[in-house]
Parts: sequence; C-alpha cells; structure tokens
Amino acid sequence: MSGTMRPARAGSGRRPDPALAPLPEPGADPDTGKLGMWIFLASEVLFFGGVFVAYLYGRTHWPAGFALASRHTDVVLGTLNTAVLLTSSAIVALAVACEEHPGARRWTANLLWTTAALGLAFLAIKGVEYRGEWQEHLFPTADFALAGTAGAEEFFALYVVATGLHAVHLSIGVAALAVFARARRLRRPWADARRIEVVALYWHFVDIVWIFLYPLIYLVSRHG
Amino acid sequence: MDDARLHRRGREILLTWALLLALMLTSLGSAYLRLGVFNMVAGLAIAAIKSALVLWIFMRLRSAPALIRLVAAAGFALWGVLVVLSGVDYATRAETPAEAQRPLQLVPQPAASAASPVVSRPAPA
Repeated sequence: MSGTMRPARAGSGRRPDPALAPLPEPGADPDTGKLGMWIFLASEVLFFGGVFVAYLYGRTHWPAGFALASRHTDVVLGTLNTAVLLTSSAIVALAVACEEHPGARRWTANLLWTTAALGLAFLAIKGVEYRGEWQEHLFPTADFALAGTAGAEEFFALYVVATGLHAVHLSIGVAALAVFARARRLRRPWADARRIEVVALYWHFVDIVWIFLYPLIYLVSRHG
Repeated sequence: MDDARLHRRGREILLTWALLLALMLTSLGSAYLRLGVFNMVAGLAIAAIKSALVLWIFMRLRSAPALIRLVAAAGFALWGVLVVLSGVDYATRAETPAEAQRPLQLVPQPAASAASPVVSRPAPA
C-alpha cells in the first residue's frame, strides 16, 4: 500500500531535479558570487523595468506617434546588432563550458576575447546609428524633426535613455570580459570557472535587455 | 565536466543560438504584417520566448538550485507588481496628456545688451 503512495523517483532513471537538491549546511560555503550576481540582476530588472513601464504608457497613449517614430529607426542595423549580441551570448556560454573542462581550458581566453570584440562591434554599429539619427534631427532636442506628431518625441527620448543605459551596461561588460580574458591568458588563479560564470551571467542579462528593446524600438509598425 | 558533457553542452548552446536567430527573424517578419495590436503582442511574446531560452539554457537556470531560481523569479515578479500598480494610475486616467513643453532657448545677444538676456520660445512647428 505504502509503495503506491510514494512516486518511484529513485528507480525511474530520471535525472534528479536540481531545484530539489538539499540546501547547503549552515556555515557551508554557498556559491555567493553567483547568488550575489543574480540578486544584482533582479535589481537590474527593476532598473530597466521602469523605462519599459514608461514606454508602455507612451505606446498605449500615442500609438500613431510611436509607430511613425519607430519607422524612422534603422531596422537593418538594429537587426544586425541583435544578431551580434545573441551570438556573443552563445560564445560566452561556450567559454564557461570550456573553463569547466580541463582539456578545453585553453579556449577560454580566446572565447572571452571574441565576446568582448562582438560587444565592441555592437557599440560601433550603435554609434553609426546614433550619428545618422543626430543628422536627421531625431534626437529629442529643440529642432526635433517629427515635432508635429504627438508622441514621436517621447519615443525618441525613451529610445535615447534605454539604448544609452544599455550601452553603458554593455561597456562595463566589455571591460569585465577583457579583464578576465587577460587574467585567464596570464593564468591568474582568481580568474576561475566560478568567477567567469558570474561575468557571463551579467553579459547574458545585457543580451536579454536588448532582446526586449529590439521589437519595442525597431518593430513597432513596419508595414505602415 | 567530462568530454561527453562538454560535447552535449556545446551542441545545446549551438542549437539554442540557431533557435534564437530564427526567432529574431520571425519577430522581424511579423512586424511587416498588418496585425493591429497583435504586432506588439507578437513582438513581446517572441522576446519572452527568447529571453526564457537565454535564462534557461545559457544562464543555466535549468540546472540551478532553488535559491537561484527564486531570486531570478523575484526580479520579474516584482517588475510585474510595478507594471500593475503603475497601471492603476496611468492606464485608467481619462484626460488627454498635454504635449511636452518645448525647451526654451536663449537668443544670442550683442555684447552691449548682454546684461539682460532675452528668452524666447522656438516657433511652433
């Protein structure tokens, strides 16, 4: 009877669910670096979240202005940059996997450098975009080009704030990746798998922010 | 991590990357269809799937202990609270929002009368 009450977890051959693993003993060393980064990233969700709420307000109140303004953004460069960031995220995930395998550790530094280089490529493409928008008077200044349409200026104000904050985060990520890539090459003992994973977590988060910015900035209404 | 696990992880990362790029192109294509409000819904839904892939596979929430999953979920849950509570005000306000104030500009003055700069507004567009 009691045999039917208990699910046959142990004998089923399935991998045990890691979320059900016992908590570390009191006083044992938890992975504080990783946990600390996750707590920081949770606070970052709220940091960028405020900008997204402002965007939702603008988009629902001035749908026509947001649609018009979005058609003035460069969808080709935006899509290219999305592909660059998604690729960089995959490469830094590979770097973490290589660092955890003794035979593959020689690849880690190169993969970290590649990720940082893709981050710089993203910033360069973004710079080209900003230059074009500045020349077309799309920055929300006194001579804003679409001043006749309500909401268009709000869209570009949010665009500058959101992509600017994202670029600052990305620059910090590039710097952190470069520091760890160099330290890994010089075989510094502190550049170990756990710390490299913490940097990778941050990089993935910057990627996630862009994943949401991409449709909200470039894809509001391309058919109009 | 042994050889087999490294290869499995490599394949998994490659597959996720291909899926992410495919989803990006799907999102791009959907923007050229005339879907009304569903343009935004499609864009955000695809973004949510993409970020779930990054969180689950790249950031390894799939194999993370409960404590880490809890912290990750707390960030998004609190953002949900922020959206709903902000919406209580912003989404229910009936008045038409006023146009944003145009920035004031200082008109360049000749040196003699520079003591009292004249402030003027740019001509309305």
